[in-house]
Amino acid sequence: MSSEKYEVIIIGAGLAGLSAAYSLAQAGIEVVVVERGDYPGSKNLSGGVLYSRVLDKLIPNFWEEAPIERYITNYLTTLMTKYDYFNLEYKGKALGSIPYNAVTVLRAKFDRWLAEKAEQAGAMIVTGIKVEKLIKEGNRVIGISTGDEEMLADVVIAADGINSFIAQEAGLRGEIKPLHLAVGAKALIELPRERIEERFRLTGNEGAAYAMLGEATRGVAGGGFFYTNQESLSIGVVMRLDDLVKEKVKPAEVLDDLLQHPMVAPLVKDGVMTEYGAHLTGEGGLHMVPAKLYADGMLIVGDAAGFTINSGLVIRGMDLAIGSGIAAAEAIIEAKGKDDFSEGSLSAYQRNLDESFVMKDLKLYAKTPEFMESDRLYKQYSHMVNHLFGKVYAHDMSPKEHLVKTAMNSLKESGISLFDLAKDGIKGVRAL
Amino acid sequence: MNIITCYKIVPEEQDIVVLPDRSLSFARAEWKIGQYDLNAIEAGMQIVEAAGGKVSALSVGDKQLENSKLKKGVLSRGPEDLYLVMDEQLENSDTFLTAQVLTAAIRKIGEFDLVICGEGSSDLYAQQVGAQLGEMLNIPTINGISKITPEGNKIIAERTLGNEIEVLEISLPAVVSVTTDINLPRIPSMKNILAAGKKPIIEWDLSAVGLQGVTKQTEVISTLAPENVERKKVIFEGESEEVIQKLFESIRKELL
Amino acid sequence: MSKVTKVWVFAEKNTALAQLCAGGRQLGEEVSALVLGTKEEAEKAVSYGADKVYWLGSSKQDKMLEDYTATICELLKKESPNLLMMQASKRGKHVAGRLAANIGTSVIVDAAGIEIAGGMIQVKHMVYGGAAFRVERALGKTTITTVGPGLFNALPEDNSRQGSVVEVDFVEPAGSVKCLERKSKKGAEVNLSAAKRVVGIGRGIASQEDIKIVEEFAGLIGAEVGCSRPIAEGVNWMPKERYIGVSGAMLKPEVYIAIGISGQVQHMVGVNQAKVIIAVNKDKGAPIFQHTDYGIIGDLYKVLPALKELIKTNNEN
Ligand SMILES: Cc1cc2nc3c(=O)[nH]c(=O)nc-3n(C[C@H](O)[C@H](O)[C@H](O)COP(=O)(O)OP(=O)(O)OC[C@H]3O[C@@H](n4cnc5c(N)ncnc54)[C@H](O)[C@@H]3O)c2cc1C
Ligand SMILES: Cc1cc2nc3c(=O)[nH]c(=O)nc-3n(C[C@H](O)[C@H](O)[C@H](O)COP(=O)(O)OP(=O)(O)OC[C@H]3O[C@@H](n4cnc5c(N)ncnc54)[C@H](O)[C@@H]3O)c2cc1C
Ligand SMILES: Nc1ncnc2c1ncn2[C@@H]1O[C@H](COP(=O)(O)O)[C@@H](O)[C@H]1O
Repeated sequence: MSSEKYEVIIIGAGLAGLSAAYSLAQAGIEVVVVERGDYPGSKNLSGGVLYSRVLDKLIPNFWEEAPIERYITNYLTTLMTKYDYFNLEYKGKALGSIPYNAVTVLRAKFDRWLAEKAEQAGAMIVTGIKVEKLIKEGNRVIGISTGDEEMLADVVIAADGINSFIAQEAGLRGEIKPLHLAVGAKALIELPRERIEERFRLTGNEGAAYAMLGEATRGVAGGGFFYTNQESLSIGVVMRLDDLVKEKVKPAEVLDDLLQHPMVAPLVKDGVMTEYGAHLTGEGGLHMVPAKLYADGMLIVGDAAGFTINSGLVIRGMDLAIGSGIAAAEAIIEAKGKDDFSEGSLSAYQRNLDESFVMKDLKLYAKTPEFMESDRLYKQYSHMVNHLFGKVYAHDMSPKEHLVKTAMNSLKESGISLFDLAKDGIKGVRAL
Repeated sequence: MNIITCYKIVPEEQDIVVLPDRSLSFARAEWKIGQYDLNAIEAGMQIVEAAGGKVSALSVGDKQLENSKLKKGVLSRGPEDLYLVMDEQLENSDTFLTAQVLTAAIRKIGEFDLVICGEGSSDLYAQQVGAQLGEMLNIPTINGISKITPEGNKIIAERTLGNEIEVLEISLPAVVSVTTDINLPRIPSMKNILAAGKKPIIEWDLSAVGLQGVTKQTEVISTLAPENVERKKVIFEGESEEVIQKLFESIRKELL
Repeated sequence: MSKVTKVWVFAEKNTALAQLCAGGRQLGEEVSALVLGTKEEAEKAVSYGADKVYWLGSSKQDKMLEDYTATICELLKKESPNLLMMQASKRGKHVAGRLAANIGTSVIVDAAGIEIAGGMIQVKHMVYGGAAFRVERALGKTTITTVGPGLFNALPEDNSRQGSVVEVDFVEPAGSVKCLERKSKKGAEVNLSAAKRVVGIGRGIASQEDIKIVEEFAGLIGAEVGCSRPIAEGVNWMPKERYIGVSGAMLKPEVYIAIGISGQVQHMVGVNQAKVIIAVNKDKGAPIFQHTDYGIIGDLYKVLPALKELIKTNNEN
């Protein structure tokens, strides 16, 4: 079997792989991306809010050409019980001006666009082919195998997503703990653009993002999200794998219920569900990032490297994927200058990451996973807040209590001790 | 032998959406190479791999032909080059117009010994273009071919009909339409796909093939999905004894 | 319904010819049949309903039916009938296409209905594998369409009918496709369309041997076994006569049971007329479940044996 050789092979045409490919191709490096899906983005699933400052770094003024849906101007946090909900909304003027802070994207379109950019820059993209294993020479990764074929490279980048068995095979990553994994289920609901703008009080391409806690996930650790696109809504739930198994609920059913919830139902009314999918995502934050992200002839990026931040209110993975893709490409460009693709030389990747927002943010949010482990967050607080406001607004002829007293009663009702509340409060402030 | 294989870009059937007024929407459809045209490409490849020569691929249509993934998809299956006639006027072309444009394109390509068409396009499945094309090129043409053996300036071919097989001698140049059981189309490998990106693609519009202003010979009055047959949709999930017992209870009167 | 003036019909087989003649009578004032065969066969067309017969002569030993295309074409150009209906066989479609190319029209294939509206011929036919019916009209003088069995019912043969028989001179074809040999292919005669119960097998079945499992099941409930197209053309595990769908058999059974069939539209149009549809498929998202009365999401290798046992026990009691 004769094997062709390229400078870089990237496994996976998600945002991490494509960003690396684009950056490398622009630097004139010969790069091949191998994707198992029929086209880039075909197997990918995201809620869809991309914190986009990093995209501006990859493709300056991306908003002029990228297929972005809306830029997020309205952030809403929802605490919901089965029939009630409590919303907190923030709308900031700066959020609506370029360079946008966050935009919604549909991966099927967005990934394909980025793939085209990478191709135009000179990258080669091969779809419909699954990489089965790495080819090694001693400890050095020298290429990939599809089972039938082999292809060699100076550097292989594993960008194969959360399940990355390539990173595992390379010995860079062990089994991921269920505690650090969540299952996301998402539906896409089409609705005419005027309806969306009316219902969500948006003008032009403004967009809204809801983070939903409590009954959104039937109390399972995790949360719900609800985002506006141009002519569709992305709605979904993300639930921690261990808790999901423990509580024996099915993501699809939870999502069905959510669609019926009094807050959601009027917003999705008359919409047509056109897509439904489920996917794993990381929950561990810094805790699931492997100790080492490089080896002789190999780097891991994006979800494969555990780069996700789930603060309960926002899930971030796409921006970290792009950021790590760029960092990897820069390390390879540097390594090529020295014609040295050894572990030592590629360690520049770690340095690049440490200097970039990727590691900084991961460290900043390192405490969230623990905070998020608290059951109270998913079950009791929603009840407490809704109970409280239920009382505040109920004028049922009974004499009104003082607000503090009402709050204390709600707290008692919810079964949370003051001590817990204080503890969570401190943890929460530190984590979010 | 110089071979030209004809293929059509069609919408993925599963992505066609029936709108409330029973019309069809293709807005969300992925486009793909006609399923049975893959057999035509494969037939061409097997001939040149056995007897030498060259396969060119040819398609005519509208802007869907621009899809770079589909161009690579065709070339990764072996053809050395690709000819496309792209024009907005060819949107929803009928078989006559398609054959007319293919004829002009093939004349412009020039040298060829054999044109291979699929059994039918995946969307219209008219099984017409091959026969019409042969007639317009004024060369021998035949359909239903399930085996081709080159023999000098002719081919010996088997043709499968309802209850008989004909062994035919066809003088070249000719146009044949092949059946789906002539071969199992290959799945392109990683290297085939990479090589495809480097092969030449020649793109023309209608005026480039000298056919400015040609039109369809049929008029479509309506295209509507049939009325839905309402079904009960009682669906069970699982393989346990109880589940199967339940299924059995509900279908017992249909089975016994 | 109003009629057009001249309708021509052409078929390989007598049963089809009789149906087309009957259709011609509904649609046209004058029906002409093109007949390749003996003089008696030519005259027979009159009893089917033809007013006029263009007799192409007895089929010659060294000629194929396709070799008569040029002959028919000359006649067609001279007479310009309003409508030419051809049998929707492989040969019929091929000859139709070549004739159409010559007179500058498209063939509207596999008519599911032909109507004359405002003096114009409109043909309804399936497109997108059965996802839709298209009504289409040819713009030229002559509409050419192919017609499958069952669109028209043959009239009772009437030997008292009068009609003329015109012998047509053979026109030598230009190109050369020579038939060297003819091998008969014995396909087991199956008549799926007569069966009350049909079990269909799809790619969910892992090997040819496993078809036995389904056959046994079908035997228990007195059903015929059919399949999806890839099982008959592709892996060739079952004869072509047994595949169901837009390009295979179109059925109307009481019960259709789909085993490991995804339920693509091209297949489903073949069974949509079934009274009850039952499906076994392990993929919850398979389109088949949109078209079923009773379905089970599960592995056929587990479901079928269990179901068989239940039927057996039931039969014993
Ligand atoms: C429900 C849900 C909601 C989310 N919401 C958000 C959000 O709102 N904002 C946000 O920023 N992030 C969100 N995320 C996280 C985000 O989707 C991921 O972090 C991001 O997609 C990671 O990108 P990636 O390129 O590393 O991996 P992926 O996008 O998963 O891409 C990996 C690619 O590799 C391919 N592949 C895998 N194995 C192989 C192989 N062996 N051979 C060849 N190809 C292979 C896959 O097909 C895929 O295309 C969400 C995730 C989920 C599940
Ligand atoms: C122009 C044209 C005409 C066509 N005409 C026809 C036609 O007339 N008839 C026809 O049938 N097709 C026709 N087709 C093909 C059609 O599009 C589909 O490809 C075909 O019907 C699919 O066959 P299938 O369901 O057997 O296979 P698949 O689509 O591969 O489905 C197999 C199914 O089996 C299920 N399965 C797998 N393993 C198991 C298991 N262990 N237990 C239970 N379930 C299992 C899978 O979930 C899957 O849903 C035509 C296509 C074209 C383009
Ligand atoms: N637009 C097209 N471009 C090239 N070839 C075509 C086109 N349409 C049909 N064909 C070829 O003609 C065959 C029969 O098509 P149809 O007559 O539409 O069923 C197909 O299998 C293709 O090989």
